[in-house]
Amino acid sequence: MRINKQMLAVIFTAIAIGTASAADPIKIGVVTPLSGTYAGIGQQVRWGLELATKEVNADGGIMGRQITLIFEDEEANPSVAVQKADKLFQVDKVDFLTGTVNSGSTLAVGQTAERAGKLIATTVSFADSITGDKCSPNVFRVNARAGQQSAALAAWLSKERPNAKVFFLGPDYEMGRSTVAAFKENVQRVGGTVLGEVFAPLDSKDYSQYFGQIRATRPQVLYTSVAGNDTVRLFTQLAEFGLRDELTVLGASGTVTAQNIGAIGKAAEGFVTGVGYSAEIDTPANKKFVDAFRAAYNKDPDLYGADSYGLIYAYKAAVEKAKSSETDKVRDALRGLKWQTPQGEKTIRAGDHQTIQTMYVVRVTDGKFKIVSQVPGEEAIGPNACHRF
Amino acid sequence: MAGMLDYIQFVLAPQVITGLALGVAVILVALGLTIIFGLLDVINMSHGEFYAFGAFVALALGWLGLPFWLLLVFVPIVMLPIGYLVERGLIQRVFHTGDRHVMTLLLTFGLGLVLEDSLKLIFGPNPYRPDTPIRGAISVFGIFVPSYRLFMICVGAAVIAGVALVIYRTRLGAMVRASAFDRNMAASLGVPVERVYAGTFAFGIALAGLAGVLLAPIYSVFPTMGRDFILLAFTVVIVGGMGSIAGAVAAGIILTQIQAISSLYISPVWSDPIVFGIMVLMLMMRPQGLFGRLGHA
Repeated sequence: MRINKQMLAVIFTAIAIGTASAADPIKIGVVTPLSGTYAGIGQQVRWGLELATKEVNADGGIMGRQITLIFEDEEANPSVAVQKADKLFQVDKVDFLTGTVNSGSTLAVGQTAERAGKLIATTVSFADSITGDKCSPNVFRVNARAGQQSAALAAWLSKERPNAKVFFLGPDYEMGRSTVAAFKENVQRVGGTVLGEVFAPLDSKDYSQYFGQIRATRPQVLYTSVAGNDTVRLFTQLAEFGLRDELTVLGASGTVTAQNIGAIGKAAEGFVTGVGYSAEIDTPANKKFVDAFRAAYNKDPDLYGADSYGLIYAYKAAVEKAKSSETDKVRDALRGLKWQTPQGEKTIRAGDHQTIQTMYVVRVTDGKFKIVSQVPGEEAIGPNACHRF
Repeated sequence: MAGMLDYIQFVLAPQVITGLALGVAVILVALGLTIIFGLLDVINMSHGEFYAFGAFVALALGWLGLPFWLLLVFVPIVMLPIGYLVERGLIQRVFHTGDRHVMTLLLTFGLGLVLEDSLKLIFGPNPYRPDTPIRGAISVFGIFVPSYRLFMICVGAAVIAGVALVIYRTRLGAMVRASAFDRNMAASLGVPVERVYAGTFAFGIALAGLAGVLLAPIYSVFPTMGRDFILLAFTVVIVGGMGSIAGAVAAGIILTQIQAISSLYISPVWSDPIVFGIMVLMLMMRPQGLFGRLGHA
């Protein structure tokens, strides 16, 4: 009796192993910040990936193989991200990796992936260089980069305010200078006039000292890429000096966020920016996605959640096209891939691994972002600046 | 010629006036700092956090429905007993040890960290912005000045004058100055030195709180706001002469005007190095500052 039971167990185990090898799960590693400043973004990434994985698995998986997600906390720190990615590649033997948030982590993990001979994709990082001069054959990006956001905004500007006279105010560090430079280029491309620029130190108390320079040039539009508390002060002081009503204020997508929009209050009204996703998008596909997301997590998806959700479907489409999860075959399949996401069809450009997608221009109305126009993906993508492959 | 007028109207004059408003704000913060230093010989590293504390007290009372005008009076009154207790309960305990400067500096630094994190726990890290109590702006000769900034300059000037009057022209002020000059002599003449110390500390804290109320509508309220003015305020105290009220006023106005005007011509990033450079030069050439110490001049 006792022996029989053991025999049975052995037989069952053998059967279990047998079926498993017939359909090994596809392992996707997720290196994302689950703690620290960026934990809120990491949460959206996790939710988006998990929701799509659940749907795909319920539907039979990818070529009959179930997807398993393995999460690691990168603490928004590139050196931690590299360690965690190494562990996922070497120990857990993941087939694919995603989740990195800050651009430094994405670039660093991209190099790890090259050494490991695996592919990664970011669904969050904005820095143009990831699919530009620092592009990698092993790195894909399925979200819109900074250049696309700024091109969309410029396209809107040229339609709403042709030949606009624009003044630029940015925070004085890498992000501020690069966003201002990018938008300046776009403004000139669409026929606008650049009146001047000023870079204020990070954490400036008082922006009113720059208002004289701004007023003297008599601009119609102010572009800014300050963020966080700095935005609260800038907008408050613009309103105080009566400039908020005179000027159309445009900005980077991180300028006005859920974190500071409450404190800015009325002064945020009318602020315009360019983004790759909004929960407001009025299509059946997006409505279905938003409803499923809300039902599962009781929160609205943001761009990070939506782009992460879309990535699972991109990977599924690529593996099915390649009929394999091998790196080289999947890479070929991802290049030029067209697939459906909540925000519509996206295409991965073969030359630089950057996704081409419809961009949206949103404006703050009654304290909420509303879509005011959309720009076709081809118009916002910009030239291919990747020369490595 | 028209270009010249344009420049004065749009750029130079508003720059001078907004610089003046910033100057008054800095002086209000520096005033409490310099009085506490001049009398107690204590460098209050938690001064910025008391400024933030005042702003948050105003915010909370504002939610309860108190109008701004009452807050201007009420918040300093709330701050007084807090300052008094901090001096008696904490600072006095280490005041008489041998290395008083190091001990009080570390103590107030730690207190500042505790205060800042407490505010973060209670109110969260995100910013708040109280409504501007006086809306609109005044335009004189085309020079555009928001009404609230003018109001702030006037109230600030009145408070500074009031403080100077109390310190230099009243019996209470004489007791404070006497305690600063020679605490033993003052004590033997019947001045209740212990209470003068605690009272003066409380007064300095109340001034920080008042600055918090006044500046909140312009600079918004968040837990780390205490770090904003504190470096500039320390510089003002050092350049003006530690413990000197007149020095704080003079240095506050000069330094903020230098910042305001220089940022028109060179990158604003340089405004901090210029101000701190002046401080370093001052320490090298004239370490006692523009004016002497409280009670010593």
